[in-house]
Amino acid sequence: MANIKDLKKKIKSTKNTLKITSAMKLVSAAKLNRAQQAIQSARPYAAELEDTIKTISALVQDYSHSYLEEKESDHEVLLVLSSNKGLCGGYNSQLAKVVKKFAAEKGENLKVFYIGKKVRELTQKDVNMGEEYQFEKSDPSFDEMQKIARELAGLFRTGEVGKVHVAYNVFHSAIAVEPTVKQVLPMSLDSSVKDELQKSFPFDFKYEPSPEAILDDLIPEAYISTMWTAQLDSLASEHGSRMTAMDNAVGNCKEAIRSLTLKMNKLRQAAITTELIEVVSGAESLNG
Amino acid sequence: MNNFTVDILTPNKVVAKDIPAENVVIPTLKGQIEVMKDHTHVVEKLETGLVTVLGGADDADRNFFVTVGICKVLQNKITILSNTAEESHEVDLERAELALKNAEERLSSTLSDDELVKYRRKAERAKLRIQLLKTAR
Repeated sequence: MANIKDLKKKIKSTKNTLKITSAMKLVSAAKLNRAQQAIQSARPYAAELEDTIKTISALVQDYSHSYLEEKESDHEVLLVLSSNKGLCGGYNSQLAKVVKKFAAEKGENLKVFYIGKKVRELTQKDVNMGEEYQFEKSDPSFDEMQKIARELAGLFRTGEVGKVHVAYNVFHSAIAVEPTVKQVLPMSLDSSVKDELQKSFPFDFKYEPSPEAILDDLIPEAYISTMWTAQLDSLASEHGSRMTAMDNAVGNCKEAIRSLTLKMNKLRQAAITTELIEVVSGAESLNG
Repeated sequence: MNNFTVDILTPNKVVAKDIPAENVVIPTLKGQIEVMKDHTHVVEKLETGLVTVLGGADDADRNFFVTVGICKVLQNKITILSNTAEESHEVDLERAELALKNAEERLSSTLSDDELVKYRRKAERAKLRIQLLKTAR
């Protein structure tokens, strides 16, 4: 049976863990707040861009862009967005599972590129490793992300790879993140949506300089915006997951402290009782 | 009440959302255009420049700096999608002046064609930012 001294030590160390986890929780909450704002600020732009492209391309006949065409190459690229740090619950492991499954389906032709080292560590045995990107800070800035996106698009344009995907955690809320694999190139414009749009737009726009020139600009922009929102999603998800994980940890610590304290108090009370009995029975024997 | 509104969106920020307008001046590739209520549906490429939103009698006038992008006019709603956009009060005058100074210094030295274009653009952006601050005052 544990003695009081051991229990005291244990309580003290659990209290220290509690301090760390609650500090991490607060930090994550602050970071989540910022990340959430970033993603919420980026989404309207991305949505509007996509909407505009859909509308214009539905109204324009026979338009084609290299980002929209299917390529012949069997090779595919997957860019995985994960974190550099752990202690964020299922954030990385769930994504790793999805990546492994996707890689198993695609087989040898898939090359996996990484941002963030955690999922790389979890999946490196199972997949065909490509490049790993690193940044000055732990997360890529817009310019850095743009560079990577252009690099991948370059591979696609030259026909070296036939498809580009990204794997990341979609941010719904701090407790709901969803690991997803999304195809980014070739971009798909749903043809059923196209027909519907053609009907619902009884008028055409006036374009300056020309619809083709505008689409030529917008399509790469939309591609980069997709990549950037994926990165923002992934970042918000990371902080959300970490906050939730740390919240659980705080709860667990408190529970552990409570039960350890109870145990210690019981032991202490038992010791006092024994001592009292000894004193009383000693006094009794002297009287008798 | 105006039912003619303007949105200005960038990849990082919603700069303006549903701001009421009576008259909007937008810099496009072909020069400035002025858009009022019931304007025809238009999609145009933007040029780096200043967007002026005149609010009319009820609402305040607002000035923005925008770089490349597009603007869409559809059913009494203007949507401006730009790489960067700043409202007059967000412009950092010191930074703009420093950028202008640096760019002009670079332009006075010998440069390759690409660099020349790059620094000319930088100088132009800085000038526009400074101009924006002056017009807003």
